[in-house]
Amino acid sequence: MRTLYKPRASQRRKERMVRVWLYVAYTAIIVFFLFPIYWVLSMSLKTVPQLFATPPVWFPIPPQFSNYSYVFENTPILRYLFNSAVIVAATVFFALLIATLAAYGFSRFTFRYKRPSLLAVLAFQMISPVVIAIPLYRTFAALHLLNNYASLVLVYVAVVLPFITWFLKGYFDTIPYEVDEAAIVDGATRWQVLTRIILPVSAPGIATAAILAAVLSWSQFVIPFILIDSPGMFPVSEGLVNLQSNTESITLHYLSAASIVAIAPVIFIFVLLQRYIVSALTSGAIKG
Amino acid sequence: MASQVRAVRGRSWTERLAASPILWLAPLGLVLAATFLYPIVEIIRLSFTNASLTGGNYSYTLGSYARLFGSPYFASMVRVTVIFVFFSVVFQILLGFLIALAVDQGARRGMRASIVTRTAVLSAWAIPGVIIGIIWGILYQESGAGVLNYLAQLLGFGQIPFLSSPRAALASVTVANIWRGTAFSMILLYAGIQTLPADVLEAARVDGANAWQRLRMVVLPLLAPILLVTLVIVSIDTFNTFDMVLALTGGGPGRATEVVALSIYDQIFQQFDLGPGAATAVVLLAINAIMTFVYLRLERPEELS
Repeated sequence: MRTLYKPRASQRRKERMVRVWLYVAYTAIIVFFLFPIYWVLSMSLKTVPQLFATPPVWFPIPPQFSNYSYVFENTPILRYLFNSAVIVAATVFFALLIATLAAYGFSRFTFRYKRPSLLAVLAFQMISPVVIAIPLYRTFAALHLLNNYASLVLVYVAVVLPFITWFLKGYFDTIPYEVDEAAIVDGATRWQVLTRIILPVSAPGIATAAILAAVLSWSQFVIPFILIDSPGMFPVSEGLVNLQSNTESITLHYLSAASIVAIAPVIFIFVLLQRYIVSALTSGAIKG
Repeated sequence: MASQVRAVRGRSWTERLAASPILWLAPLGLVLAATFLYPIVEIIRLSFTNASLTGGNYSYTLGSYARLFGSPYFASMVRVTVIFVFFSVVFQILLGFLIALAVDQGARRGMRASIVTRTAVLSAWAIPGVIIGIIWGILYQESGAGVLNYLAQLLGFGQIPFLSSPRAALASVTVANIWRGTAFSMILLYAGIQTLPADVLEAARVDGANAWQRLRMVVLPLLAPILLVTLVIVSIDTFNTFDMVLALTGGGPGRATEVVALSIYDQIFQQFDLGPGAATAVVLLAINAIMTFVYLRLERPEELS
């Protein structure tokens, strides 16, 4: 029977055809997904006549890097990036802190209503932020907390928490409970078990959770759009919409350059860490 | 676990507290309650009032719902949302599945191109929605700068009013959303494909099933639960989409692309109509709740600890 599976010439030819078709499929997929990004990148490097040229200028040579310096000097894009960085960093910190505690609680304790509580946490993830943003706007306005980083971070933390908690709970579940038991027998408290044993072992999981929280909060739009109206505090996605609507002051090549600046950090993270992100997303996906 | 329960009885309250998960879960519970539960109660309450965003007195009434369901815009919003969600979901799942299969096949063969492909698709997903709206707005330009219009003319389709005609605009918004969301269903289905039992697939191969037969009779039935879950998650996500549409068309031309989430924003923050806006939000909340319920039903079969 084994000999049947020895690759024969016909099978090798078939295998080569499969590979050729896969390359064809990959090319089509990559063109579809990267062309829009490439096109905006090329627009960001064009002169004004090149923007409207027919046929289009596919490769702007020489590239107008001066468009980028114009954007940096004449729009608040750096300010927006800075705002986003501060908000995202604070969100990641607090979300990880709270999610780690909760994930440990869900992973290491048995209690009544555990499964319903876990599902309730998950259910919050399904709620549209626009639904909660309106009452939050009224409450924050009454408390004079609009245009406030801290209130924004609180909402961001709540939005990313369900996902991060589930992800970390799944990660902690893979660490055998016997490890905890041994430490507790030796006199360690729960807190010591978490900080000295669980956390060091799950460093890769924590790092992935941090990246996912960062990407999620980097993309938030509805919440800052409603809770922030002072332009100096806009995060980057809201700032870009603002630039887009000021069409007199900013034209296509500048808008393109600003968009590229805004997506560069995320794309950079994704390309650099895609292996970890994929394994995180796939393991999270299986566990729901 | 029984020993744990026994240990709790007859101990001091500090020890009992240490044995309970309450302190670990309290911060999560507090943040979620403050940011989600309270606003949900509040939006439902507001939907039964005639409140305005600008403040002032209000009274309780069913008028918001009457105005919402009676308005000609409601029918248009429902139609736009249904078309947007239906085509987005169908194509995101279909493309996501095909890409997941292609990437999985390449990964099994150790092809580096499969990783490049996977990363390219995922990059689109990581870009903030508004920036996707801006990027596609640049692609859809109807002036000489519009590359898609140039390509359409090259292929003999003539000038396409991507964003200026109501019909085309809805299609344009949907295509941009498919571009954005395909990665998500791809990654869920890719995870699903990796959990397929290799021996079953191998057995089907030995029995002489060709690739199409294996896909139809082995892969799809085994993947059906994950396909369903993906369907629900992607649908919820699409119902909630608003940022990309706002940046791309702002809901226009007219109201041709005003999906439900955008309509909430428009009623409350453009027209200051808090009551009807809140009623629309409750409609979206109900959609979210129903689909979450379906999702949890589908997820059930695991352990019920």
